[in-house]
Amino acid sequence: MGTSTNHQTQNPPCRLMIGTSGYSYTEWIDGGFYPPGTSSSRMLPLYAATFSATELNYTWYQMPKAPAVDRMRRKVPANFSFAAKLTRTMTHEVNPGNWRGQAAQYRDGIAPLVQSGQLAAILIQLPPYFDRSPGNRRYLAALLDDLDDLPLAVEFRHRSWAEDRVFAELEQRRVALVAVDEPDLPGLFPKLDVVTNPDLFYLRFHGRNAKGWRSGNMQQQFDYNYTDSELSEWTGDKIETMARKACTGLIFFNNHVRAQAPGNAGRLAEQLAANGLLVSG
Amino acid sequence: MERFIIHLNIADFAVAVERLVNRRLCDRPVLIAPEGAARAAVYDMSDEAYRAGVRKGMALRRARRIAGDAAILAPHPDRYEHAMRDLLRRALPFSPLIEPGERDGHLFVDITGTSRLFGPPVDVAWRLRRQIKTDLGLDPIWSVASNKLVAKVATRLVKPLGEYIVAPGEEEAFLAPVPVWLVPGIEKEDLIRLREFNLLRVSQVNALTLPQLTVAFGKRAGFLHDAIRGRDNSPVQPVGRKAPQIVLDREFGDDTNDRLKVEAILYTLIEQAGRALRRQQRAARSIGIIIDYSDGMRCARQAAAKPATANDLTLFEHARRVLNLAWARRVRIRHMRLVCGRLVFPPAQMPLFPAERDKLAKHDKLTATMDHIRSRFGHDAVRMGRAMAA
Repeated sequence: MGTSTNHQTQNPPCRLMIGTSGYSYTEWIDGGFYPPGTSSSRMLPLYAATFSATELNYTWYQMPKAPAVDRMRRKVPANFSFAAKLTRTMTHEVNPGNWRGQAAQYRDGIAPLVQSGQLAAILIQLPPYFDRSPGNRRYLAALLDDLDDLPLAVEFRHRSWAEDRVFAELEQRRVALVAVDEPDLPGLFPKLDVVTNPDLFYLRFHGRNAKGWRSGNMQQQFDYNYTDSELSEWTGDKIETMARKACTGLIFFNNHVRAQAPGNAGRLAEQLAANGLLVSG
Repeated sequence: MERFIIHLNIADFAVAVERLVNRRLCDRPVLIAPEGAARAAVYDMSDEAYRAGVRKGMALRRARRIAGDAAILAPHPDRYEHAMRDLLRRALPFSPLIEPGERDGHLFVDITGTSRLFGPPVDVAWRLRRQIKTDLGLDPIWSVASNKLVAKVATRLVKPLGEYIVAPGEEEAFLAPVPVWLVPGIEKEDLIRLREFNLLRVSQVNALTLPQLTVAFGKRAGFLHDAIRGRDNSPVQPVGRKAPQIVLDREFGDDTNDRLKVEAILYTLIEQAGRALRRQQRAARSIGIIIDYSDGMRCARQAAAKPATANDLTLFEHARRVLNLAWARRVRIRHMRLVCGRLVFPPAQMPLFPAERDKLAKHDKLTATMDHIRSRFGHDAVRMGRAMAA
C-alpha cells in the first residue's frame, strides 16, 4: 500500500510505503488475507496487489542468495520495494573475526535488489542486550562504515541508545533511526518520532503485548491487534511530522499472528488518507 | 497442505561428541577408528582431517600418513547414541514426527501445520539449533524445505556450518546447479551411468524427459526424474513408532572369522528370535543381518522370507543365506546383529506340494516339541547340535 503526503511545501512529497514484516505466513490463509489454498510461492504476488513494500525477515536467519532474491523480485511489479533485514551474523551472533566477510556476502546476496532499484532499506535490528558500551559503539560504527553506500536503518532495542549524541551521529551518516511502537516495558527503546535521515524514515509496529514480549515465542510476542485509537496516536500528527522531514517513509507492521498485521496496515493507510495524505496504488 | 521439514545435521558427529568429552581435541585434527585392528578403517574424521584428504572408510594406516598430527580415538557408539537421544529430546516439544538417523547426528523434524503454535518454520528451526547449541554444545547445520530430500541436500551444501532455507516452489531452481552426487538416493551405479553420459549436474539431467531417462536407466528413471526435481513425498516417521521388529545382537569376545562359530551363534540368535515370534504369534517376512568388521567397516544385508515364518529351522535357512551375502570380506567379525522384520500373522496357506508340506509339518513339530521341553525343564535341557560350537 503506497501513500504520499499532500503538503503545499517546497519539499517534494514524501513517498509513504506501508506493509508488513514478512509476507509468507500460512496462518494468513486462515486469517483471511490470502485465499484458501494459496501456496507459499503465490503469496508474494498476492501480497503485492495490496501493499507496495515488505520487510524481508528471512534474510535475518539466512544470508540472502542472489539467484533466489532475483527470482523473488521478479514476482512483483517494478515499483514494489523491499526492506531487507541484516543477517543475524552481523547483529545477534557476531564473530569479530569474520563479520566483514559476512557483510561482503550480504552485499552480493542483495545485489539484484540494488540493481533493480527495489531496495528501500537495510534494517539493522540490534538485540536487546546490545547496549551502548564502548565495544558495541565501535562495532556499530565499523558496521555502518562498511555498509555506508547502502540505505541503512538502525533499530535499537536497548534504551541506552536513546541519546541526542547518537541521533546526531546517525544524522551525520544519513542513517535512519527506526521508530518503534512496542509495549511499555522497562529497558526497551522509547517510542520516538526522531528522523535522522532526510532520505528515509522508518517506523515499525511490533504490537503492545507486554505479557508475551519476553516469552521467546514469536506467536506470543507479536500477537496483538491495534485499536483505531492506538493507530491514531501515530496518524494524528507524528507520521505527518516525520513525513515532512524525509522524502521516503517505510511503515511496517510486525504483529503477524492471525493476520493482524495486514489488517492493521490497511486501517493505518485509511486513517492517513482520511487525514489528507494521498494514497497511491 | 504444504509441508515444512527441518533437517538438522551435525557435521562429523562422532568427532563433535568426542570433542565435548575432551575439549583438548578441539584444536587439532581427529580421526575415529577402531584400535588394535590390523586393517582398521576410518569411522569418522574432523573437518581438518577431511580437508587434508582423509575420508570415511579409508585405511587408518593411509589416513595417518595424510594427517600425521591427528589424534586417533576408538569409536564409542554408546556416546553417540546418548547424544542422539539428547538431540531427540530437544526436538520433541516441536513435533511428534521426528526421524533420527543411526548414530549419525541427523534428524528430520516435520513441523507442518504448527506455525500457529510455534511461529514460522524458519524461526522454529533457528530456535531449535540455538537450544541444541546452548544445552548440548553441538552446533547443527539446519535447513528448512518442503520435503526430506531437498532439506538433506540443503544441509549437505553448507557443510560444515550454516543454514539453508529453500522456499516452497523453489526446489527445482535450488537443485539445478547442484552436482548429482549430492542428491540422496542416487546410488553408485546411477552415478557411473550418469558419468558415462557426461551428466554431472542436476540441470543437465533435468533436460531429459522421463522416456529418455527410461532408455538409459530403466526402472530407476522414475526415481531420478522426481529426485532431481526435488519431489519427495516420503513421510517423516513418528518418533518411537518404528515398524515392529525383533533385533538381537551378539558381540564376539574375540574377533573371529571362524564360520562354524559364527553360524552357531547365528543359530542361537535365530532360536531367541523364533521363540519371541511364536510368543507374539507373529511370523517374519524379512531377515536382515548387520556385520561390524574388526576394522570398523559395516555391512548390512537382508532378504525376504516367503512365506513368512516363525520356525527356527526355516528362519535359519534364510539367515544363513543373508549371512553369506553380508560376510563378503576376509576380515574378522566383531559384532553381528539379526533383524527379523515385517512381522505378520503366520500364514494360513499351506504349501501346495506334499513334500514341502511334510517338511514344514516336521519342522513345526520339532520346534513345538523343543519349546515344550524348554518350557518345562529350562532352555538348556535340549540343544541343536549346530549350536554347540557357540
